[in-house]
Amino acid sequence: MRAIYIALFVLAACGTTAQPTPTGATCPDVNNPQFTWQNFGYDFMCHYCDNCHDSNLAIDQRNGAPKFHNTDSLLGVMDIQVHTDEQAAIGPKAANRFMPGGGTNGKCPSMPGGPLDMDCVEPTDEERTNLGVFLACELQRPDDWTGSAGHVTDHCAAYKAAHP
Amino acid sequence: MRQLTHMIRIAALLVATTTAAHADHHGMAMGSSDTASSYSANVALVAASFSPSQDSNMAYGGDYEGVSAGADWSIDRYSAGASWAYYRLLRNGAEQYGVGDLSVHGQVALLAHHDVSAGVLAALSVPTGNEVYGFGMGHPMVMPAVYGAWRNGPVELAASFGYSRALASGTHVHGMAPLVDPMNMSELSWSAGGNIAVASGVRAGLRACGGVPVGSMPGVDRVVGAVRVAWGTARVETAAEVQGGFAGDPFNIRGVLSTALRF
Repeated sequence: MRAIYIALFVLAACGTTAQPTPTGATCPDVNNPQFTWQNFGYDFMCHYCDNCHDSNLAIDQRNGAPKFHNTDSLLGVMDIQVHTDEQAAIGPKAANRFMPGGGTNGKCPSMPGGPLDMDCVEPTDEERTNLGVFLACELQRPDDWTGSAGHVTDHCAAYKAAHP
Repeated sequence: MRQLTHMIRIAALLVATTTAAHADHHGMAMGSSDTASSYSANVALVAASFSPSQDSNMAYGGDYEGVSAGADWSIDRYSAGASWAYYRLLRNGAEQYGVGDLSVHGQVALLAHHDVSAGVLAALSVPTGNEVYGFGMGHPMVMPAVYGAWRNGPVELAASFGYSRALASGTHVHGMAPLVDPMNMSELSWSAGGNIAVASGVRAGLRACGGVPVGSMPGVDRVVGAVRVAWGTARVETAAEVQGGFAGDPFNIRGVLSTALRF
């Protein structure tokens, strides 16, 4: 009987770990979105995500980031919108703070494809909330990212030039 | 003891090692027609490389190494056991260390007649491995199956077939997981193999196993083939196996070196 209790405890303990969860964020005004790729998404992704999630990085330079999870273009972001929402965004149904650093014990590279040489810079809760709204709005504006503009990427060159 | 050895070889044919994929765990437990209890302990070293193939959605490349330990107990037609592994994993350039999912299993031989045997078995994986890093599924998995085995002189053949199912959702809902032991969330799991005694105390064999996704959950067909050499006595046996991932990108190539000690 004692062994059964121990087994149940182990199973219960394994089931209480926080899980990535959809935030349930919604778009207040799809025709006049407060956050766009130009005024929010590009800077957010370049600041927090691109050093591991750039489409230019070889598979052994990504510090664990999945091959097809690239955030250097709007199309790339929206291809994994569900994952991004569940990993990094805050909304009425969940507060997800798994990324950045969720797969690397909180360590991040200081340059694209570099070694994990610094603690990850974490978005503020306000930024995470804005991310949820941004994703929700873009989801309802598919013309933005399925069109030719959605493919455009400079691999964060403009952001890095402005933030040396 | 002779019957026990036969059952152990059947188990080896079906599974080969404790570090094989969960779906390959069919037949892991060692059965025996002896009425006395018997125990065994085993340890295995595993090393593998993996990478996305051109037509695959596999998102990771890298390699892993691991060591697993297991123990089994059997009496009469019943047997049970458990195994656990510890890995070093290099995934898309990120290095991690951690345990995999704990696996427990049980087996009942419903037929044990001379050189033919058949029965049912079931394995359960407990989500002790980190699913984010690729060490675990993130949910329990139940793997019931039926098995059959036949022996004629130096030749032994065995096969198993079952249905494996996740008991809860995990983060790998769009494919196989974990990296160190991949399978689908809902699949028909199978294995088949044979070996032949090539010298005193030495046997060589071939084995294949895999899974076919079923149900509404997405998944991929998986096929693994292996060549194996085992040597030793009835009480101590060491085996070396080279496995190839032929479909589904479970890995490119994997090597396993294992030793089992029986009491």
